[in-house]
Amino acid sequence: MILEVKKLQKVYGDKTVVNIEDLQIAAGETVGLVGNNGAGKTTFFRMLLDLIRPTTGEVLSKGQNVMQNDTWKDYTASFLDEGFLIDYLTPEEYFIFIGSLHNLSVADVSAYLNQYGEFFNGEILNSGKYIRDFSKGNQVKVGIAAALMQKPEILILDEPFANLDPTTQIRLKNLLKAQAGNMTTFISSHDLNHVTDVCSRIVLVEKGKVIKDFKTDENTLKELESYFSA
Amino acid sequence: MLSIFLSHQRKSFWRSRNRGSSIAGQIVLGFFMLYFFSLALGAGLGMSHLLAYFFPNQDVIKSFNGIILYYFAFDFIMRLQFQELPTLSIIPYLHLRISRSKIVRFLNVKALFSAFNLWPFFIFLPFCFIKILPEYGALAMLMYIVSIFSVMVFNNYLVLYIKRKSITNTLYTFFGLVVIAAFAALEYYKVISIMAASDFVFRAIAAHPYYAFAFTLAAVAIFYLNSTFLRKNLYVEELSSKQEKKGSTDYAFLNRFGKVGELAALELKLILRHKRPRSAVILGFFFLFYGFIFYKEKAINSDAFGQMMFGAIFMTGVSIIIYGQFMFAWQSAHFDGILANKINFKDYIKAKFLLFTIGCTIITVLASFYGFLSPKLLLLHLAAYFYNIGFGTVVVLYLATLNYKRLDITKAASFNYQGTGATQWLLMFPYALTPILMYVPFGILNKPYWGLAVVGIFGLIMLLMRGFWVNYIAKRLEKQRYKIAEGFRE
Repeated sequence: MILEVKKLQKVYGDKTVVNIEDLQIAAGETVGLVGNNGAGKTTFFRMLLDLIRPTTGEVLSKGQNVMQNDTWKDYTASFLDEGFLIDYLTPEEYFIFIGSLHNLSVADVSAYLNQYGEFFNGEILNSGKYIRDFSKGNQVKVGIAAALMQKPEILILDEPFANLDPTTQIRLKNLLKAQAGNMTTFISSHDLNHVTDVCSRIVLVEKGKVIKDFKTDENTLKELESYFSA
Repeated sequence: MLSIFLSHQRKSFWRSRNRGSSIAGQIVLGFFMLYFFSLALGAGLGMSHLLAYFFPNQDVIKSFNGIILYYFAFDFIMRLQFQELPTLSIIPYLHLRISRSKIVRFLNVKALFSAFNLWPFFIFLPFCFIKILPEYGALAMLMYIVSIFSVMVFNNYLVLYIKRKSITNTLYTFFGLVVIAAFAALEYYKVISIMAASDFVFRAIAAHPYYAFAFTLAAVAIFYLNSTFLRKNLYVEELSSKQEKKGSTDYAFLNRFGKVGELAALELKLILRHKRPRSAVILGFFFLFYGFIFYKEKAINSDAFGQMMFGAIFMTGVSIIIYGQFMFAWQSAHFDGILANKINFKDYIKAKFLLFTIGCTIITVLASFYGFLSPKLLLLHLAAYFYNIGFGTVVVLYLATLNYKRLDITKAASFNYQGTGATQWLLMFPYALTPILMYVPFGILNKPYWGLAVVGIFGLIMLLMRGFWVNYIAKRLEKQRYKIAEGFRE
């Protein structure tokens, strides 16, 4: 198991925001986290990334508690929100900075970025703008591309499809599907179509609890739709 | 309509997010404002004495006339740097059924709410009543007031017009200050005299009071110019300062420090690309003149380093104190990113130390011009320098781990006290008192140079212990990271 969540709880005041008894994710799985607003998805992701201290319980990455040491950062890449972007840099500077953290040279980074010309749709590179001046969709593209550039074993994305244009949504889906098997991907989404399309496994959360956890098949979308329309 | 706009403005001021979050900060700020205004009022009331003191061989009215234009030249430069364009506040109204002229009127009225439009009243009005009235009579006094008021309004709208039309940057401000200083120097050596010109103008007003309306006409003209421009260009993206094309930068000299240099470069960009930290840095350069207040001839001659210590510590360490007081919070917008990425806490802290050391070194080198006053001051600066980079940095970074207040650095700099808490004010005490306390016993024993040596050596020892401090602060940061990140997410 590459990721294990054990008895994880986060309590704010008298409200339990996340309460996950046990969740195991095997290497190479593509897992979709689905739930309404306030289900605790972002809080859960933040605990996976050691950004919030859990009230109780632990997150194990390759068997090691993420709170105790940093080795998980070597193989985990993530993009939750704009708070992950250093928005006063140009995209190039940002990619080079992120690359340098993983010992990629400037040449490595530009070679990598060249493959993404299509994904960026010619709007990101050499645009003469800082990241903060981009539209939200383009900021998300920068964040996702920077995460993928790290060639992570674990990729965590919070609502990656939101704010993206249709073309890019499809491209992102293809990118993620192409990685299935080599990369463990954990994404959350409100878009049931996309998430059932991309993910091999769906975890449904409500009020912080996992209420369903199943492999996707042709009935999954219907099942989810009936759950959410109820 | 105008009153509705203004009531919205008032609400946005009182209900802004960061208000009330730190009442202590607000109170301290209030006291500062009060202090400055009473200072201005004091200067205004005591104007005749001040003028007699600074220009002893001259008639006070002549001196008064002489300084008015100087004041407004300086006022103009300062406005260019600090006065805000009241543009963003109109966005929610543009698409509604409100005529353009009303919106323009609102922008114009709002522009008058600036501290710059208060100073002249405090500084110049009392003198008009005290001296001009008995000397030239009521009409002339009234016209003096009209002309001063008109120049103020003229400056107000001219600056807005310039700011809207073009890209102003800090370099212009600096350049403007140099020009004023040059004129002052020419004045001093009696080459050209602006004071005489200013005096000539205002004497003419005293003699023919209605001449004052020339200023009023100029003010009205610039007001109309500004309004027409606004009406024609009422698009937010055209009204805010223009955008230049942004390029990527690489600081080669930081590359030799590896990952630490990488992080330091990141922070250097943060400083240079945001208004608030940039003005903090510029403020730091202004404090270079602080020495002229503290380094009195008497103190220098009697080796009274204790008295001068505060000035020296503050001046050489200004970058550490001013920038360091909001440490980590500068990065609050992307602190999550820093935590989630593969950044070692030790490297992160080392980068801060590196940046502080560079900043402090530059300022100390610049401050060495005080060596012309007395070479002794260089020794004092050296001791202060070691203290600042050795121990000051540690104090600042330690306190930074206790700071959980988010800072929005994209917001304007002047009179923005968001993120200011009790820590910031308390910071100064241990920072400035420690070296003074270390020095005092030697001062009393009349061994001033020993005192300096102790302060310097203390700093040097702390500098040698930097490895230890890096570990210590990195550990603290590791412990506090959730709390800090949570505060920064607010």
